[in-house]
Amino acid sequence: MSTDGGSLMDGYLDDVLTPEQHQKLSAWINASPENARTFAAAAMLHDRMRNELILSGERQGVSPPSALVNSRRADALPLAFQTTTMHRHRTVRSLVALLSTVSLIGVAVVLFWQSFGDNPASAAVYELERLIATNANTMDRTYRISVEETVVSSRVHGRRTPEDDRPPKAPLDDAMLYVRDGRQFVLERSTENGLFVTGSNGKVSWAVRPDGPVRYSTDLSQFNRDLPGHEHEMPLVNIHDGLERLHLAYDVRLLPLEDSGGAEPATRLLVAVRHRKERGPKRVEISYQVASGLIRQMRFIEMPYGPDLLTLRLTLLSEASLNERFFDHESHHEANRRVEAE
Amino acid sequence: MDDQTRQATRLWTLAQPAVSAFIMSVVRDFRDRDDVLQDVAVAVIESFDRWDSERPFVAWAIGVARNQVGLYLRRRRRDQRVLEFDPQTMDSLEIAFADEVADQSLRLDFLHECLKSLEGRARTMCELRYQQDLKPAAIAESIGMTANSVAKSLQRIRDQLRECIDQKAMAEGVLS
Repeated sequence: MSTDGGSLMDGYLDDVLTPEQHQKLSAWINASPENARTFAAAAMLHDRMRNELILSGERQGVSPPSALVNSRRADALPLAFQTTTMHRHRTVRSLVALLSTVSLIGVAVVLFWQSFGDNPASAAVYELERLIATNANTMDRTYRISVEETVVSSRVHGRRTPEDDRPPKAPLDDAMLYVRDGRQFVLERSTENGLFVTGSNGKVSWAVRPDGPVRYSTDLSQFNRDLPGHEHEMPLVNIHDGLERLHLAYDVRLLPLEDSGGAEPATRLLVAVRHRKERGPKRVEISYQVASGLIRQMRFIEMPYGPDLLTLRLTLLSEASLNERFFDHESHHEANRRVEAE
Repeated sequence: MDDQTRQATRLWTLAQPAVSAFIMSVVRDFRDRDDVLQDVAVAVIESFDRWDSERPFVAWAIGVARNQVGLYLRRRRRDQRVLEFDPQTMDSLEIAFADEVADQSLRLDFLHECLKSLEGRARTMCELRYQQDLKPAAIAESIGMTANSVAKSLQRIRDQLRECIDQKAMAEGVLS
């Protein structure tokens, strides 16, 4: 930044510019988008310094100006908002609308101030929010599942579980998973006898074994048991919900950028460690492209899967659109196969 | 909390640092900024169903903030002369704040640590400026300096903090 631009910005933020200097600053901002962004960055630093120093003052028992207290405290805000709004509009609102708006303001303010507090993970939380927003879209995705390790949990040794009465599961390693809109999926696993495919089109769930009849059910959970994660709200078919779960039940941390040597878009790793009393994988590692927020790979460590604990990777292979009827069982077997309802 | 409210809350939380700083870039009195920010929060929530999800939320929220800032300036003009940016500059700033929010939000997480390195007179000046909302002339009276020296010192302090943030961000890999 030029010295002139720098001192004009600082002078402006401290409110000491003359009208002529103000005009110069305005011309400097308009001279290039880079200058405008430099000004925005300076204003954001100035704004954040104020927030940080007010919080620091509060911790030391320094009272901020009274008007500030009224607007900052989450518990005071709803009342202030209610008065202002009612006065401004002079209309009667429904109680529900008012309460929901008031609670939103309260939540937003609490989140806002939490994000500026002592929490060292706020950058990671910000990134997680960005990933949730980025991965909320409904495009089709194709993943490969790789199982790194399978261990039998010590707490279930010697105890019978419902899984003991079921036939062994087809291997998950190297399985292909196709998902659409968080509800529809197709899971393809290779067995000695051929491909074993389970899925759901959002209306029925189904299983196509290498032999025997094709089975389907209107119970959507009937054939999703072979897909890890569904029982503890981290379904692999719905990355968006899985990320939401991280928000609620995990501590998240951001690791430094990974060096791609400039050949690939920069990626970074977000690591989530489960809170002690929560269920689900012990740790989740998300590798994503920094610029786009696109998740390339998710690694689940000690993910409950029946009686076992899996460490597995879910790698994004494609975001290409799949055939409209790809998630119907008819797309995965010969037309002459026997089909039975459950 | 319904889905729309959750979505609005999440988006607002992410956008708020940029919106707050955008308001601050026009409304330089901290207390007035707080009041305008509160009005913007209400306006954003009340008109959330008019947000086109094809458009970035931050840019839309800054647009709402610009309207509220306009109302504030109209009220202020009745009482005193205020320095205002022309519409072209405001257009440039709207775009710049929306562009900068993601990058700056990550970097500014290091500010908390960097502020701990401020000591003595530098710390006092920052506390008077940011906690007590005093301008350089009033700070100068309190600590026996000239207003010009205070303004220059504040500029130097902010430069040092910027440098400290950049170093920490670089070390943590936040700066690419």
